[in-house]
Amino acid sequence: MTTKRKATKKSKAQRPRSARAAMSVATSENQVVKERVAAMAEVPLLVCESDKDLQKVLEVLRNQDEPIEVRLAALQSLQAASFSVIAFESCRGDYIATLRKVATDPNAEMRQRVLGILAREKDGFAIKKLLDGLKNPDKALVPPEKALQLLSYDIHAEAYPVARAIINKPPNEDAKREALRLLAADAKSAPVFEKLLRDKNETAEIRQVSAAALQALKPDSLQENARAILLDDSDYDEIRATSLTAVTQFGDEESVSKDETLKKHVSRMSTKGGAKVKRGARQFMSKYGK
Amino acid sequence: MKVELQINNSANARARFVSWAPSPCRIRVTDPTGASGPVVVVNLSRTSAASGGDVVFRKGTTGLFANTLALKVPINGTSVPFFVAGKFGQPSSNNSDVRIDAKVAASLVGAVKVMVRIRKNANSLTAGERDRLVAAFAKLNNQGAGRFADFRDMHTAVSSPQAHGAPGFLPWHRAYLLDLERELQNIDPSVALPYWRFDQPSPNIFTLDYFGVSDPIGTVQFSPTNPLQFWKTDGVPGINRRPFFSTAVAPPGLLTQAQTLALGAAYAQFRGMEGNPHGSAHVSFGGFISSIPTAARDPLFFLLHCNVDRLWAKWQRQFARFDFTVAASYDSGANPIGHNLPDTMWPWNGITGPPRPPTAPGGTMAASPCVSAPGPQPRVRDPLDYQGSVNAVSRMGFDYDDVPFA
Repeated sequence: MTTKRKATKKSKAQRPRSARAAMSVATSENQVVKERVAAMAEVPLLVCESDKDLQKVLEVLRNQDEPIEVRLAALQSLQAASFSVIAFESCRGDYIATLRKVATDPNAEMRQRVLGILAREKDGFAIKKLLDGLKNPDKALVPPEKALQLLSYDIHAEAYPVARAIINKPPNEDAKREALRLLAADAKSAPVFEKLLRDKNETAEIRQVSAAALQALKPDSLQENARAILLDDSDYDEIRATSLTAVTQFGDEESVSKDETLKKHVSRMSTKGGAKVKRGARQFMSKYGK
Repeated sequence: MKVELQINNSANARARFVSWAPSPCRIRVTDPTGASGPVVVVNLSRTSAASGGDVVFRKGTTGLFANTLALKVPINGTSVPFFVAGKFGQPSSNNSDVRIDAKVAASLVGAVKVMVRIRKNANSLTAGERDRLVAAFAKLNNQGAGRFADFRDMHTAVSSPQAHGAPGFLPWHRAYLLDLERELQNIDPSVALPYWRFDQPSPNIFTLDYFGVSDPIGTVQFSPTNPLQFWKTDGVPGINRRPFFSTAVAPPGLLTQAQTLALGAAYAQFRGMEGNPHGSAHVSFGGFISSIPTAARDPLFFLLHCNVDRLWAKWQRQFARFDFTVAASYDSGANPIGHNLPDTMWPWNGITGPPRPPTAPGGTMAASPCVSAPGPQPRVRDPLDYQGSVNAVSRMGFDYDDVPFA
């Protein structure tokens, strides 16, 4: 009897509070922030079931007088609710309309998260805001590297000239990298990536992104360039390790296995060079060394 | 004298994989030279490599498993059935790391190497398991031109009602994971899909050699020896993922495993986990994984869902909910198409046009050399009995490291 009662108590302790109780805490300005944030995580299903509750959470999200932690938690709760697609369908209109309003919020983190959600939904309003911000930095809602990253969710030809302009005159290295990622969807950009991949004056990261882009756009060219990099002992370890990965994982097995020059060179690399090169060389040799 | 051992009743070497659920096997004498009677007693035992898996045996569909098994085998070539299962708690780390020996007296008359292939906690994989997993994912993606594109196209805004917001959420995703896992195994049969235990710290997953480290804007960085650096989806290389938590700890606000399993004894209650922890785990990041239209572009998505599926498996075991004829095993109300137990599931059924999506990417469910279930066009009810505990032929060939055979 005692054992049974204890088991029941344990079960109750493990069970979360009701969503209704959580909603009450989450939307009450009288509760402490930490409690409200925790409670927001428990209300996703309720917002799908009740328009009144949905509106309460949307109001928290919109209200700039609310603590930002609670507003971000409200956003996360709505996002979680959106995974219940069928139940959330009737909420979607109000949700998107609210996100568009909050996209210009004074809080940078809020803007970034909201524009991210809208961009992933391929929302035309958000795409236009992001492009406008890149063309006219005074209007930018997020930094250029973030705008380029978000534009890659729904690539329009209109984004390519902006990305090319940033590559030519990058405000920072991250923006250049994100512009390159975006341009990787443009078949005409393969020569840009070929040039960057072989340019020893570029950073390792830019060259690695170029390798990944080239692999997608012109895989034969990547294999040729990777082979040349591997045979060039003066090139840097990072890009040589990337080249080893490209050849080992994606090279044509028949032609690589017949390439004695490359195999001898990589065999030497497995004992010389930095740790990353050695590791990449060992992976290559385990596949092609026999 | 020689005997042949067939695992999963198959002579195919690619069928030599077992899990906790018993695999039907058979043995027959192929060379009776030296036999002294019509029947010979063959003793089965096993040898594990260091840190390798382990198996157990039994004669029939019921009864206790044992470390050894004696079988009377006719020398005329007639097969004798028996069962092999992974020894719970001792999964393999490498392919073929368990050897099953067949001996007559002290003479070895046959042997076969097997793997106890089990879905494990992704945070605890060995370096070898991790490297094989990411290499298989990268090859499946194949610069955006590989079979992975189908899996990406199965999980979009358009197809979403087939898989979310209704009772079929859990069966659909179980089939989806299995389909993907079988394709990974076509590349490297030693790979089992691991799970991201999102209610526990999992720092090892978010490293340069594994699923990458996010920079401040959420672009994921990989080591130069990690083939995932060539990941590409929707024409764009790379992965966007920005954790809103320190990856040294678990995301805050998610129901724990104990809380999830306490949601209720009826499926209608348990499937509330679609919001929290499932949805909450997704939105503990920004980037691909945080929105349905883009979530499957991040390979981490599959580890997250593997944990969702593991939680369902644990719940099924806790409440004995494997049998679709038991009302509490499913939520059989007025459900949309694709969410009722007898319905076939899109896209494997190939049905297009309203209320189904306009296309059905990927074709039928990938076949397995080890098992026949769930067949090319799984129904909603099929994934419930994934271990074959209700009907042995329903066994789907996967198991979790912490969920024993029912």
